Amino acid sequence: MESVLEAVGLVKQYRRVRAVDGVSLSVGPGERVALLGPNGAGKTTTLLMLLGVLTPDAGTVSIFGHRLPKQRQRAMEDVGFVAGYLPLAERLKVREFLGLYARLYSDADVNDTIERGLARFGVAHLADAMGGELSSGQKTLVGIVKATLHEPRLLVLDEPTASLDPDVAYRVRTGLLSYADATGAAMLITSHNMAEVQQLAHRVVFVQAGRIAADDTPEAVAALFGRDDLEGVFLHLAEEL
Amino acid sequence: MTALVNRPMPGALRRIRAIAWRHAIVLRRSPHRLFDVTLWPMVDILLFGTLAVYATRLSGSGNEVVAYVLGGTVLWHVVYQSSIGVSTGFLEETWTRNLINLMVTPISELEYMAGVAVFGALKILAGVSVTALGAFVAYSFSVGSIGWAIIPISAILLTVGWAVGLFVVGLVLRFGSGAEALAWGLLMSVMPLSGVFTPVANLPGAIQPIAHALPTTHAFIALRAAISGAGIAWGELGIAAALAAGLLVLSGWFVVAMLRLFRKRGYVTRYS
Repeated sequence: MESVLEAVGLVKQYRRVRAVDGVSLSVGPGERVALLGPNGAGKTTTLLMLLGVLTPDAGTVSIFGHRLPKQRQRAMEDVGFVAGYLPLAERLKVREFLGLYARLYSDADVNDTIERGLARFGVAHLADAMGGELSSGQKTLVGIVKATLHEPRLLVLDEPTASLDPDVAYRVRTGLLSYADATGAAMLITSHNMAEVQQLAHRVVFVQAGRIAADDTPEAVAALFGRDDLEGVFLHLAEEL
Repeated sequence: MTALVNRPMPGALRRIRAIAWRHAIVLRRSPHRLFDVTLWPMVDILLFGTLAVYATRLSGSGNEVVAYVLGGTVLWHVVYQSSIGVSTGFLEETWTRNLINLMVTPISELEYMAGVAVFGALKILAGVSVTALGAFVAYSFSVGSIGWAIIPISAILLTVGWAVGLFVVGLVLRFGSGAEALAWGLLMSVMPLSGVFTPVANLPGAIQPIAHALPTTHAFIALRAAISGAGIAWGELGIAAALAAGLLVLSGWFVVAMLRLFRKRGYVTRYS
């Protein structure tokens, strides 16, 4: 079966710090994988290399069989990306912001694509709001709509629920799960919310000091470290730093 | 015919159009940015036009100097608008921290810059039209007096503007937002060296060799030749075209090298 994402031996060195040190990672079709680790463990650096935004010093990345960076354009046609820390363009209406991305991905009717995308996450009423008028939760939801407009087969989410109220975070999780169920899309997610990860992910990959410390189901990883849950594993790895 | 109309637009063209469309919307939402294509061109025409008229009256020379200055002002805006269009188009993505979002889409760097340049071309048309109209209304100077030479001269100046804009983009990629002041500052240093209003023979001798190495200098020599009725100075245009093409290649190489460094060193995190 075709692998969705395949990374082998990724290395990234920043001056005196080796941020990522030989990370290998794969995501299968429909699989939901969480990339976890304490601050500074190398998660975001790994994620940026997986997306072709950052060039690895060593190692390879393929998405749907398209090797980065040479086949980046082909690979990105099937990838959606959202990060909780990225803002929305304040001077654009939600419809216009989404319109840019709808046009970048396909020839399909832009308005129709936007309406369907917003409706999928229950935020159709935000279509004509200005980006600067939205709350953090609404911005995150619109960011997720942006990432799923073209119905990608791989959704990459970097801290999608960071600093959101529990009710909004719940809506985000529910929306993501229903999207994944409906489309069969694979997901790669980073989060500091271990309860959320346990709900969303089939598999977790723990990164510590730029290396993979564990890669298995949430239950198996917790058992490996002799903890009750992922929260315990996280605290254990953070203490070791 | 229907099949032709319904045929999907090639991906690259669609993405280029999407970027141009996005910048058009931003301009519509930020009326103050229209100053670049309305108010400042008029200020330039009034400032330099007045100085030229005054100098002409003092020296008792003919109106040719006024025509040189106004022609120079109008066509300098081709360089200015094309450069600013490219550099601020890219800067908009850094100001709105939209770079990562764009880098994780199928758009290529070339398509992105083409989209910015297409939108910039519309701004150039607007800016140059305003200056030409201002020069005509205020000083009865018609760009028609330049003749057909205006086409190759404008094309060369457009190329130089793109090259300067790309160079600024490369600097911003390498040094971050701190380098953005160069988007305007670099052009201001090129202007006096280019003999926009007067022959470079009027510059201090030590600077003249630098001036002669600039494509803009030869384009403005050709402009003055056209205004004085000497026809199209093909020799000067040839030198200007060769230098402009070289400059564009160098800037293109520079921006590609800086983009490679940007990806290698992870400078993108400055905008996240």
